[in-house]
Order: sequence, then structure tokens, then C-alpha cells
Amino acid sequence: MPEVKPAAPRRSISLDVYAVSLALILALLVRLNLIPPVKW
Amino acid sequence: MATSAISAPRPTSLSRQFVALIPGLLLLAAVGYAGKLIEQSIAIYTKSHHITFPNIEYVLWAIVIGLVIANTVGVPRIFAPGVATYEFWLKAGIVLLGSRFLLGDVLHLGGISLLLVAVALTLSLTFMHLLGRIFKLKPKLTSLLAIGSAICGVSAIIAAKPSIDADDEDASYAIAAILALGAISLFTFPLIGHSLHFSDKAYGLWAGLAVDNTAEATAAGALYSDAAGKVAVLAKTTRNALIGFVVLAYAIYWASRGQAQAVGNKAEFLWRKFPKFVLGFLLISLLATLGFFSKPQLASLANLSRWAFLLTFAGVGLRTNLRELGKQGWRPFAVGAIGEVFIALVTLGLVYGADKFLHL
Repeated sequence: MPEVKPAAPRRSISLDVYAVSLALILALLVRLNLIPPVKW
Repeated sequence: MATSAISAPRPTSLSRQFVALIPGLLLLAAVGYAGKLIEQSIAIYTKSHHITFPNIEYVLWAIVIGLVIANTVGVPRIFAPGVATYEFWLKAGIVLLGSRFLLGDVLHLGGISLLLVAVALTLSLTFMHLLGRIFKLKPKLTSLLAIGSAICGVSAIIAAKPSIDADDEDASYAIAAILALGAISLFTFPLIGHSLHFSDKAYGLWAGLAVDNTAEATAAGALYSDAAGKVAVLAKTTRNALIGFVVLAYAIYWASRGQAQAVGNKAEFLWRKFPKFVLGFLLISLLATLGFFSKPQLASLANLSRWAFLLTFAGVGLRTNLRELGKQGWRPFAVGAIGEVFIALVTLGLVYGADKFLHL
């Protein structure tokens, strides 16, 4: 019977990478004026 | 049976997983936006009726609405995946907030934070272990509580748990205690800050150094003022950057006692535990310092960061279940609470000293 390995605790790392990626993509879109000015 | 379970395709495709996030995301947006509307409505009403009333930030309203929903009708399961993304928005918001800092400010305030974190860390870890012994807590539970309260709350506990081979039960006790204390600090810190007439910088530094969880530290700072929220995020990010070193020290300690696996490659271990969003924050701050963005673009990035935090604050309230926190037993909570008060007082003294002698 194959051994079932417990899930590696990588969730927080992936979350960080996704969050940084989204932020950098948004920053690039803002820099290239591809999205309208964001209001608050 | 095991083979088929392993080789079977994942139960939900990526698109289904994405669709599952939508209800919770809409709930986060609705709760956060409701908080913003309440803040604006009160400001308009009091101004038009010439009533003097302190401005209560949308942060508090969003958290309170979330708390009320979570602890009365509850959050139905359909919303759970989307609500759980609040931490993702927090990290994206922090990275975008980097645009509001010149790298020089980051190094200046970050340097002071680092110095204060080192002093507070040493004192708080020693004190928490002493308390753990007095209250006869299991040593690994004490370790988790010490890491959680000295460094950065829930993520530090999650990072440390496998490294020191702690029980699930210990981890959930420690997380519950840290979350309960974080909720309390949201309401007490701004009151203390106002009564001591702290400047935005001093208060932000204090909140960033003393409040454990990053979401709560950001909220506690933003509840005081926008500028204080900015400084709180920077101080908290500095604290988060140290997570790997503290977890490594504990892992080596427990391995030396034969109660955890030995750490192989220490550099690899540190990199694995290092919060990567800190690098994103520094990169955006560097780009802003180099003039990569125009003024209106910087304003857009700052506003994007605010929208991301709005989702986060709604999530803080929605995921806080007061009944569940109450079930966790009084001893871990007591150790956490006494430790937190100690850390809050130590950091208060440190920030007061830094404000006086290092001119924040």
C-alpha cells in the first residue's frame, strides 16, 4: 500500500508568492496607465 | 483503496475553487464597504448638524459588523473559502503600502523597530517561559505561546508547529489565545494611545511591536490614524522578518533535547520560513524611491492598498468566533494575557524612550 505523505506546510509560502505577484501586477498596470486612477 | 485515492483527480478544479471564493469575497467587500459607508454617513451627519463627534474609522465598523455576524447568525459554509482570503489581501495590501515609504524611511524606522524588537523579544521570550512554568503549561505549548506573542501571532505558530513537533491541540490552544488577545488589543490600544497623547509615529510603532497578529496590528494602527497605521505595518513587517530566526532557534533547542527533528540546511530553513511579502514591500518601496511612479500613480497604489486592507478588516471580524475562543480553557489564555500585558508595557517603555532619545 503506498504511503500517504502528510501535506507539506507550504500554504503560507504560496500565499505570500501569490499576494506579492498580484501586488506587482497591479503596480505595473498602474505604472503603464492601463487601469483608471483608483479612488478611495 | 489508498492507490485510487492518491491517483484520483483533485475533487475540485481550479475554476471551481475560484468560483467557491466568490460568495465569501462578496461578503468581505459588503462588510468592509458597509463600515466605510457608516464612517462617511456619521461624518456627514455630524458636520451638517454641527455636532462634535470623534471620527470613528471604518476599520472599527467593519470589524464590529463582522464580529456581530460571526457571533449571532454565524458565517455559513458557502462563505468560508472567500472569507479565508483575508490574509491574502492583507499581504497584497502591505506590499502595495511599500509605495508610501521612501527606502530611507524604511531603513530608519525599520532599524529602530529592529533594535526595539530585539530587546522586546529577549525580555518577552524569557518572561513567557517563566509564566509557562508557574502555570504548569506543557513546555511546547509555552514555546508556541512565546513565539506567537513575541514575533507574529498565528503565522509564527503555524511556522513553528512542525519545526518543534508540537501537538495539533497545543497549536490550536496557542492560536486561540493569540486571536482572543488580538481582538481585545483592537479596542484597548487606541484608547491607551489617545489617553497618553501619543504621536502617530510613536503609537504606530507601539502597535506594530506589541500587537501579535499582522491583521490586528494593522487594524490597531489604522484605528488610531492613517499615518499610525502606516508605521504599525512597517514595525510589524520588521517583526515578521525575524520569524525564521526565532523558529530556527526553537527547532534547534527541541532537536537538541531529542524531541524534534534536527534541522539540516539552516539557510534553506531560514528562506523557507521567511515571509516573502517583506521582499515585495521593499521592492515597491525601492521603485517608489527611484521615481518609478508619478504622484497620481502613487496615490492610486496607496488607495489600492486601502481597498485590500478593507477586505482584511472585514475578515478579522468575520473569523473571530468568541464562543470557540471561550472553550479553549483559561490557563493558556491567562499565560497569553499576562504575557501580552507585559510585552505591551515593555514596548510602551521602549517606544517612549525611542521617541525621546532617537527622535522617531
